[in-house]
Amino acid sequence: MKRREFLKNTVVLANAAAFGGLTHGAQQASVPCPVTLLPMPDYGRDMEKEIAAIMAGDGLVLKGKKVLLKPNFVEAHPERPINTNPSVIAGVAHACLRLGAAQVIVGEASGHRRDPWFSVLNPSLRSILDKKVRCVDLNHGDAVAVPNKGGLTGLPHFYLAKPVAEADVLINLPKMKTHHWVGVTLCLKNLFGVLPGIYYGWPKNLLHFRGIERSILDLARTVKVHYSIIDGVVGMEGDGPIMGKAKPVGALVLSPFPLAADATAARMMGFDPRKIFYLVQAGRFLPGLRQEDVVIRGERPGRFATRFDCLEEFKGMRGGPFF
Amino acid sequence: MHFLRGGFAAPFFCPHFLNLGYNDDIMEHSASETAALVERLRSFSLLDGGLPYYRGNASSAEPTLLAALALSVSGAPAERAKPLLAWAQKLQNPDGSVGVDPGHRDQGVWLTALGAIVLHHFGLAENAKRALDFLLSLRSVTAPKDPRLRQDDTLTGWPWVPGTFGWVEPTAWSLIALSLSGLSGHPRAEEGVRFLVDRQIPSGGWNYGNPALDGKELLFFWDTTGLALVALHGHGDPTRVGASLELIEKNQGKIESLSGLSWAVLCLKGYGRDAGRARVKLLNVMGSLREEEFHAGNFALGLIALSGKKVFIP
Repeated sequence: MKRREFLKNTVVLANAAAFGGLTHGAQQASVPCPVTLLPMPDYGRDMEKEIAAIMAGDGLVLKGKKVLLKPNFVEAHPERPINTNPSVIAGVAHACLRLGAAQVIVGEASGHRRDPWFSVLNPSLRSILDKKVRCVDLNHGDAVAVPNKGGLTGLPHFYLAKPVAEADVLINLPKMKTHHWVGVTLCLKNLFGVLPGIYYGWPKNLLHFRGIERSILDLARTVKVHYSIIDGVVGMEGDGPIMGKAKPVGALVLSPFPLAADATAARMMGFDPRKIFYLVQAGRFLPGLRQEDVVIRGERPGRFATRFDCLEEFKGMRGGPFF
Repeated sequence: MHFLRGGFAAPFFCPHFLNLGYNDDIMEHSASETAALVERLRSFSLLDGGLPYYRGNASSAEPTLLAALALSVSGAPAERAKPLLAWAQKLQNPDGSVGVDPGHRDQGVWLTALGAIVLHHFGLAENAKRALDFLLSLRSVTAPKDPRLRQDDTLTGWPWVPGTFGWVEPTAWSLIALSLSGLSGHPRAEEGVRFLVDRQIPSGGWNYGNPALDGKELLFFWDTTGLALVALHGHGDPTRVGASLELIEKNQGKIESLSGLSWAVLCLKGYGRDAGRARVKLLNVMGSLREEEFHAGNFALGLIALSGKKVFIP
């Protein structure tokens, strides 16, 4: 059995036992979840003003706050769309300053690269950020033990990077990608990057052993995310999150509700979120899984609907048309 | 106590008194330049005796241990490393392991390998032995052999976290620790060698773990490639790492990061190859780092590389 299969089987069996099979289970009560689709055909456009207006319209108050932006910036690579694009990170960072944030930090604990030059300390990011914005390597530095509010992994607590624990506002900035372990990686999966590598290693193999999906769910319960913006301008299809191919979608997905953002992005990718195990389970404690609970603002979602290629084992996630 | 192995009674940063072994390199930068870099590192020292990774953080094992080594090989007076070593000794757990920091002693015990290297370097034999004993008890999880895979998951290496798989970096550090302590023939060291050779990407270099996934070669990283090469030095036929060495030697001018350049210099010098371009770039990078980029552990590693001393090779 392949090492990867070994882990995957462990995850599946453990989850089946823990959750009583692949049923949807009791879902979170219906809550209207606004999700805004912002057209962005390429990364050349200045998006600061539009993002600021949407975040403010969603009731995000940043005046005087310490804001941490958590992109997916795991592997600086000149050709592959692995990371949240620096233009998106900069657009959001500058929008936060525009909305009066006292401090804006871009932080990432890359699960692939220990060398911070290939992550948030890469010149491609620093060179376009306002000098008031700090970039922080979350892999190396102080951490704060916080109780695990989920309990599925059996880990009593998580060691959160201190800048994450100390932020007033956490804004999650994932990339729209397929994932060779769990199908898709969006807002919820991106929270692995708040855990320092010096505690969890590269990759965060402890979380793999405890179950990737269980870990995603535990983190979703433990880490409070105030806003999410998914970079779907150019996503990654196929063998994501590193080895896949570029898939242009042309939109940012913005929401105060991370599961609503993930479910909407999944539908845009051509996947049924009700067939993605960890999203379904997250629906037990987060609103936004059901399409009827999502209130789409901005552009019509049908404009961005597409079909991401994926590994054979995830083709069962396909669904739609949704829009 | 035999505090400094091969200690320095020489005047600070006077190259004539330092047996660095790379006189051509010494000429590339002045002693005052090195002194300035050392002082920048020392400016990170905290009152408790340790160093943080980045300014504003608390003292942590890795930058503290590497800084002690960097001061030693840069010719600093012995007493300057003492507070760092004292901090590290206090951090060591009764079972010999070394964790992240005093508040998280049970976390990040992969750092025990670096602890063993530094404690051995400074002749702290009892501490080093306890660290080695812990390392020998720390085993990665294995998986049954799959004939479809090139990778051999039955091999035991070292994990980042106990109870998980083995990975290139903790295995390489552990192998270095064993080799420096005269245990290169230990069965765990020999298996560690096989582990690293097995994880080498066929076209050269190392990723952080697997050489390939689903039949596709993974990306090689400068830092893990340099570190693995250093760890494998003197272990068997060097031609089996030839492609990786070539990769670093030929592409050294393309490396941009402090960590990557440091490991390139360390491994090329270790194998007696030309590291000139990487070394010049390393000096430039170290001299121009902004505060938020200043990773004290990597900076200390850079100083070790610039010193020309082969502290990671027996």
